[in-house]
Amino acid sequence: MHLRIGILSKRKGYFTGKLKNFFESNGHNTIIYTKENLCINESMLENDLYILKSKHQIPFVYAGFYAESHGIPVIPNTDISQKHKDRFEAYLLIKNAGLLYPKWYYGTPQTIKKNLKDKDFPLILKPVSGSGSRGVKVIYNFGDIENLNQDILYLEKYIEGTHYTVYFIGDKICAMEKIPLKNEHSEMTRRKLSKEIKQIIMTWKNQYNLLFGHLDIVIEKKTHKHLVVDPGSFPEFSNWKCGGDPVSLIGNLILEEYKKLKN
Amino acid sequence: MKNIGLIIDRFHLENKVAEFLKILKKKAKVSIYVEESYLLNKDNLNFDVDLFFVKGKGKLMVAMARMIENETSIPLINSYKGIWLSINRFMNSLILKKGGIRVPDFSLNPSNCKSPFPNYIMKNIIDQKTYSFKPNILREDGCLKINDERAIEECNGINEKYQYFYYQKFIKSKWEYKVYGFGDNLYFYKQIPVLVNPNKMETRREIEEITELKEIVLKAMKLLDLKVASLDFLKSNEDQYYLTDINSTPNFNYIKDGPKIMADFLIEQTRN
Repeated sequence: MHLRIGILSKRKGYFTGKLKNFFESNGHNTIIYTKENLCINESMLENDLYILKSKHQIPFVYAGFYAESHGIPVIPNTDISQKHKDRFEAYLLIKNAGLLYPKWYYGTPQTIKKNLKDKDFPLILKPVSGSGSRGVKVIYNFGDIENLNQDILYLEKYIEGTHYTVYFIGDKICAMEKIPLKNEHSEMTRRKLSKEIKQIIMTWKNQYNLLFGHLDIVIEKKTHKHLVVDPGSFPEFSNWKCGGDPVSLIGNLILEEYKKLKN
Repeated sequence: MKNIGLIIDRFHLENKVAEFLKILKKKAKVSIYVEESYLLNKDNLNFDVDLFFVKGKGKLMVAMARMIENETSIPLINSYKGIWLSINRFMNSLILKKGGIRVPDFSLNPSNCKSPFPNYIMKNIIDQKTYSFKPNILREDGCLKINDERAIEECNGINEKYQYFYYQKFIKSKWEYKVYGFGDNLYFYKQIPVLVNPNKMETRREIEEITELKEIVLKAMKLLDLKVASLDFLKSNEDQYYLTDINSTPNFNYIKDGPKIMADFLIEQTRN
């Protein structure tokens, strides 16, 4: 069966471009929809399947909800993708899966200054809507808060320890150690998969029926606790070093999932 | 005496709820959580409150509603879902239409694409701030094009930069109908559309219940999980009502005895 596939993505290149090539080489018509050409209306109904690569609420998450409300499958699922992007929803996903998450604070700079103490630093400033390292900054003291030009702040306790990006595609898990707060594309070193990390990934994956994704995990130096600091529903897999081509692995998983959803 | 938690921002606290608080405080203990002075964190979610009322839709208030709903069993008016959907215009249009409520045709387009409708109203996508509708009305080639300045600010502004516009097909209507809902108790008004007369209160008048509108309102509130809301309708030339706007934090001061109705409704909800 030849499908008409739409990929909802902020970019045309990188993983998205490779995925388009994969689907086309398998005989499926594939269009990439970016902020330049995505109109959310009846015109979306001509496709059989959408892939939600980017999870900006406007327009990609909205487009996912639009497609799903008209019976068109979206992979990964729109609701879960949206929750990955929102800090509070992500916190609840992690908590509800029984996993650990750092302390966080949300309030105006004045409220934060009034309620926090010197011992609460360092903190990490993160955008409420976002994942990955964009807009993330270490806040060392109250002076740093004064220099921020934001009316409301989301701050998370900085965890000193070993930082990992852990990818998963189907049953394959790839644990990569990284420099704290660096993005997914920075240099990483493959590490042996520990029992604890494997357990965290399996819990996460099974709790939310995920085909692929990643978790950023920090192993706290003092306590050896494993804390999940950032989930991702569709990373670029730029540091996947665990065998196989992530594009074809994911492409095949998506096609299998589509068949299941349609049967 | 029941304890009601009021989650509110400074603007609403200083400008919109004086009478309501006066009445409510005679009937219940009131704990006030002000957005600008509350620090939300996962260890700060123990409340000795029977029910929360969220008066406003600021970012912290919405996040607080979400946390309360997940972490406690305290009822919220309105629910997080209701507030979120009311703020997200595209999402509420989608759900209402899917649920069989007549809404004007709508589309979300990149700013470089034209409206698919010859006659349209462009509206803001995320209706979260306290400023009101600022229409810029153009008549071109026999078509009516109404652009909301808030939408333009959201699209190209300093903060959001969505680069998208929400278009709603324009419905010509002699009257604009407004219904306030407090649970099943509905209050009906009509006024000259604000596009014709921006001073909405000048022409607003209370009207008898309209059965058809009542059914639509109750269904829409159920679909969006709202217990308190105001809903705006236009009536087309074919005598069909179109739901054009929905608000989870209506200004109850605009209706007769509104602050008392709101306070009584909250008290009644604490008994359920």
